[in-house]
Amino acid sequence: MVKKTKTVHRHHPLHCADVFSHICENLDADLDSPQCREIKRHIAGCPNCTALLDSLKKTVYLYRTLPIPTIPASSRRKLYSAISLETGRRVK
Amino acid sequence: MKAVGNPATGGKISQTSDSDLIKKARTGDARAFTQLVQRYEQLVYGFSYKVCRDKDKAEETLQDTFVNVYRKLDQFNGESKFSTWLYSIVTNNCLMKRRKRKLDAEMVSFDEPPMSDNHEPLSIPAWTDSPISSLVNSELRARLDKAILKLPMEYRVVFMLRDVENQTAEEAAKILKLSVPAVKSRLRRARLFLRKGLNDLMVE
Repeated sequence: MVKKTKTVHRHHPLHCADVFSHICENLDADLDSPQCREIKRHIAGCPNCTALLDSLKKTVYLYRTLPIPTIPASSRRKLYSAISLETGRRVK
Repeated sequence: MKAVGNPATGGKISQTSDSDLIKKARTGDARAFTQLVQRYEQLVYGFSYKVCRDKDKAEETLQDTFVNVYRKLDQFNGESKFSTWLYSIVTNNCLMKRRKRKLDAEMVSFDEPPMSDNHEPLSIPAWTDSPISSLVNSELRARLDKAILKLPMEYRVVFMLRDVENQTAEEAAKILKLSVPAVKSRLRRARLFLRKGLNDLMVE
């Protein structure tokens, strides 16, 4: 269950909204670059931003690792039959 | 008419470069075109399947794509990679099919990260740390399919190109004829949308 409790961030100069936006657009970015240090610091001290970053990375990972079927033999036959028709049509 | 080889017999794919095969295919060399198809058939089928989540649609897209590629070979100027050009043809194909089905982006609402009325963040629950490979069970797989199919095609193709096919933002922009900021914006919303679709299954 998602608890709708407010989180107060008194010591972070960056707002979560700014960090959310950065996280969502730059999941795989190099957070060691100087301009990202402040964001990295914020994430380290903010459970919400940590949870968002982690869950987005897991979302992407799951879609990346979903098994993809290889082309069925019947589909390949239809493909090369269509290509044979097409290439023959052009040469005539 | 030059004969097309039988790829089903599993002949080796030559080391000839894409550009040489394209040049030969433009002159009517059917064997050269067949070699190009053999080289990229799994990329096209796999990408189509990832976008459609349906074997029949992937098969249809596979055929339509290579027939279109053959018809448009003269339009390939070699400035981008052949695979980039292929992705753009597959993507157009998927978008055209989507228009035929009259699905509409307005049907789906995109939520930004949960914020209160005062622009303070609401609590975001942490996702489970269980080994994620063990989570790819049938229930989760069904949920992954459902979430991606609910995502409008314009966003789905951006997510697949950037996050699954590892195309850069610039390449995705070229494929989709969008600006880089537009690609980034769609990717951000697609990621959040898909995350939301899995949230209740994944919360600790």
